[in-house]
Amino acid sequence: MQFSSFQEFIQMGGYAFNVWSVYGMFAVFLAVNLLGPLRRNKQIIRELKRRYELNAPAQSGASSANSSAESVGDSQ
Amino acid sequence: MDWTWFHKWGSPKWFYELSGKWLPWLVGSMVLCLTVGIVWALLFVPQDYQQGLTNRIFYVHVPVASISLAFFPLMAIAGTVFLVWRMKLADVVVKVAAPLGAWFTALALASGSIWGVDTWGTWWIWDGRLTSLLLQFFLLLGVVSLRTALEDSEGAARACALLSIVGCINVVVIKYSVDWWNTLHQPSTDFSIAADQANGPEIWVPLVFMILAVYLFFAISLILSTRNEILQREKRSQWVMELVKRS
Repeated sequence: MQFSSFQEFIQMGGYAFNVWSVYGMFAVFLAVNLLGPLRRNKQIIRELKRRYELNAPAQSGASSANSSAESVGDSQ
Repeated sequence: MDWTWFHKWGSPKWFYELSGKWLPWLVGSMVLCLTVGIVWALLFVPQDYQQGLTNRIFYVHVPVASISLAFFPLMAIAGTVFLVWRMKLADVVVKVAAPLGAWFTALALASGSIWGVDTWGTWWIWDGRLTSLLLQFFLLLGVVSLRTALEDSEGAARACALLSIVGCINVVVIKYSVDWWNTLHQPSTDFSIAADQANGPEIWVPLVFMILAVYLFFAISLILSTRNEILQREKRSQWVMELVKRS
């Protein structure tokens, strides 16, 4: 252990700004690139769910008629 | 020769299922390496006789900066696979790697700058290493905006693959910049056995943990974004519909 007190650890031998800002940026970097894609995954699944539900009635309704089957795949 | 593995790897469904099984192990190993690496680096590494405790920055800067050099070669290989064999999954990798690479490069530049301000006495200098790494940052932003500008078309995929291959030239410049131009940036970190004897294990073992942690993070983040992109591109396929309904 290089430090005898918590105070000393925080001060980092006078380099508190340098050391803590780099480790802070590192934490932000990790969080953004892990939590970001995880959140996006939930969002995509929610969007797709809504999209399939919107298209599902059209699909069953169109089973007898042939023309509206086009709408099943995409709405964009 | 049996090429089934190659076609399997090209199958988004197969990748999605397999990567789902890998992720918990990768995340577990990353958390372990990161915890050991950070605690060791911050609390136990001895002060540097010249730099004092700013040597803590080394343990973030070196892993991030060295892995940032892997992006263009990775994107070039994936881009080539896409151009030659039309493998869709390879283009997904080119797409999701570019923004992550920009993050890596930005952190490498910023952490180096904050390290340099006290040890070199300046935030920035136009030396070979720093300038070529800054160029890599702009090239990666270029790949990202090319994709956006061409709206995810087939043409965008081809253009990004080409730019990735060309961008590899800059990686060579970054790598050898410290040997070609003798300016402020120190030579590359030496990972050989001779270096281990000069610096005791209390210096390099935490670095190994941090490098492993950042590599795992790189893999996990790429896999997560690849999975998201696969879901969106395959939204009309049966397996995605079933997967969404089950969740």
